[in-house]
Amino acid sequence: MVDDDPQIRRVMRATLVGHKYEVTEARNGEDALTRISAEIPDLVLLDMNMPGIGGLETCQHLRSGSDVPIIILSVRNSEKDKVAALDAGADDYITKPFGMEELLARIRAALRRAPTSPESGPHTVSTADLEIDFDTRRIHVKGKERRLTPKEFDLLRYLVSQAGKPVPHRELLQAVWGPDYGDEPEYLRVFINQLRKKIEPNPAKPKYILTEPWVGYRFSAT
Amino acid sequence: MGGGLQPARGISPASLVRRALRLLAAPALVGLVIAFYFRVVSANNTTVALTLLLVIFGISTGWGLLEATVASFVAVLGFNYYFLPPIGSFEVQDPQNWVALTAFLVTAVMASQLSVRAKRRTLEAVERRREVEGLYALSQSLLLSGSARTASQDLVSRVVRILGVTTAAFHTRLTHETFRWGPDDPLISDEQLQADRDEALVDRSQGVAIVPVRLGGQALGNLGLTGPLPSDEVLNAVAYLVAIGIERARTLEEASRAEAARQSEVLKSALLDALAHDFKTPLTSIKAAVTSLLGHPRADAERELMTIIDEEADRLNRLVAEVLEMVRIEAGKLHLEKRPQDVSEIIGSTLAELKPVLHDRPVEVRLQDGLPAADADFDFVQQVLRQLLDNALKYSPPGSPLTISARAGEGRIVVSVVDRGSGIDEQEQLRIFDKFFRAREHRFRVPGTGMGLAIAKGIVEAHGGRIWVTSEPGQGSVFSFSLPVFRGEMVL
Repeated sequence: MVDDDPQIRRVMRATLVGHKYEVTEARNGEDALTRISAEIPDLVLLDMNMPGIGGLETCQHLRSGSDVPIIILSVRNSEKDKVAALDAGADDYITKPFGMEELLARIRAALRRAPTSPESGPHTVSTADLEIDFDTRRIHVKGKERRLTPKEFDLLRYLVSQAGKPVPHRELLQAVWGPDYGDEPEYLRVFINQLRKKIEPNPAKPKYILTEPWVGYRFSAT
Repeated sequence: MGGGLQPARGISPASLVRRALRLLAAPALVGLVIAFYFRVVSANNTTVALTLLLVIFGISTGWGLLEATVASFVAVLGFNYYFLPPIGSFEVQDPQNWVALTAFLVTAVMASQLSVRAKRRTLEAVERRREVEGLYALSQSLLLSGSARTASQDLVSRVVRILGVTTAAFHTRLTHETFRWGPDDPLISDEQLQADRDEALVDRSQGVAIVPVRLGGQALGNLGLTGPLPSDEVLNAVAYLVAIGIERARTLEEASRAEAARQSEVLKSALLDALAHDFKTPLTSIKAAVTSLLGHPRADAERELMTIIDEEADRLNRLVAEVLEMVRIEAGKLHLEKRPQDVSEIIGSTLAELKPVLHDRPVEVRLQDGLPAADADFDFVQQVLRQLLDNALKYSPPGSPLTISARAGEGRIVVSVVDRGSGIDEQEQLRIFDKFFRAREHRFRVPGTGMGLAIAKGIVEAHGGRIWVTSEPGQGSVFSFSLPVFRGEMVL
């Protein structure tokens, strides 16, 4: 739990501990980076507006060396801010003040792997320049290994399981983030862009993850 | 431009007298030399001739060619009369002496000419150096002046001081002001300074020049000078330097103004962000704490009290958001992300969001066929529509129907919300979009801050649209707003 406000940390600790989570607190970005590398948490709640290195920068630092799910907490609610946070590697974004039930739901969603069972789709995808092994969660593009965050990986897995079919935005959001989601098309825009950067030979002209105008996205392995 | 390189000098009676005196003094000097050698010291003819030549050179250098030429003729006559045989006569017996006398005369006159020319060259060189130094000093001082206004003011005084003219005046087209320095001179009138001119006007006989000041083809103004004028080249160079100086000052001024504006904008944004953060942080703790408590099973009375805390925290949050939004709108800091938007989608999504509060209301949506896309920010337009629907709900009887319509025309899309409420009287219709205004009838009956419609108006106007109300007391109200139609190419 990274926030510069001690009262917010107090409330969060009391609530989260009450829900059987273990909580480690950090007062700012620098503090968070030290503690997270030492304690390796399962999830990071990260305030956006902090003195010193802010939430966005901390998120980028964390993301460069870790796949830990990150939920950004922020008083700003513009789409621009949400996209900036997701672009920095966050998995989710919640606007302050928030109801605790909503935060708990989002924590559960972030900790949960997408509910697609491995049986529902192929175990591997193999094309001339892309190889995905869903069992070992490894991806190679032109022979080089690429690291995906859990949400990116789940998104890709769901698209592959529906290969060839256009998947609507809402369905994709609910499949990957959970049933409480569906009105966050900006999440998809950001995550699809990141996926394209990682797996497409030319992200500007994608050949695997295609946009279906006004509908959603479609995976094509041909 | 006409005129020579020399500064114009008028011929005064004093200078005429001086010239006449010099013309008398030159032969007198020659006479003195001849008298000296004839009466006091006797010397050979060569010595006398050389001494006379020296005196003639001196005259030519000091006074001029005419004086030297007169002196030369007098010297030839005197030398012949007093020193060449037969002495005491102008007769020349020996033909060799003719040659000597002619050589003397030619040498004296030619050497005088050379000496005068060399002197003039020297004077010209000195003049050039003075002009170049003046231009340099002028360029230095122009480049050091501050704003365009102070630059123009300094400019005229510096031109007078450095170029040695009597009066300088500059008319700038940037602000249409005229700056003058030196005694008022009717020779440079305001009309002359303000006139459009491609060519300089130089009248050296009167000592007046009006030079256009241009840079890159753009006319910046005119510079007028009176008194002893510098050369044409210097006039042109001064005009060019003035243009550069003024342009430089203007650019600097613009850059510093832009920087100041940018800093003030940055400060405004930072202040608003800090305010939002400081208000919302305690609200976050309250909301998180109370919702956390509500997550556990509670006795009814406890649950009711906690629900009040929760609802009031929400209300406070809305108030803070409204106040900050109003401040943002007034500070011109609303960041719209305009994209082509399907108005029917905005209406649909707003209705979906308000579903829990609309449950007992029949809502009719009337959309014109083939409605074009609006150039709008989805979230902000949704906020406007939510506000209008919220108002319609508050001010019309429970169960009464609402209508939402959207139609296009004249490059705009007009969205209207119609209710069957008590209506708004004419006086209040005029003020209903004012900040903090609440209708008299509802002031103490219906909760609200009086900011919702003012914010809606700010948002619509930031889109380049308009918001208005038509109402018939007893019949209901129609709130409408217009949005511009998207005119670019659709990018998916």
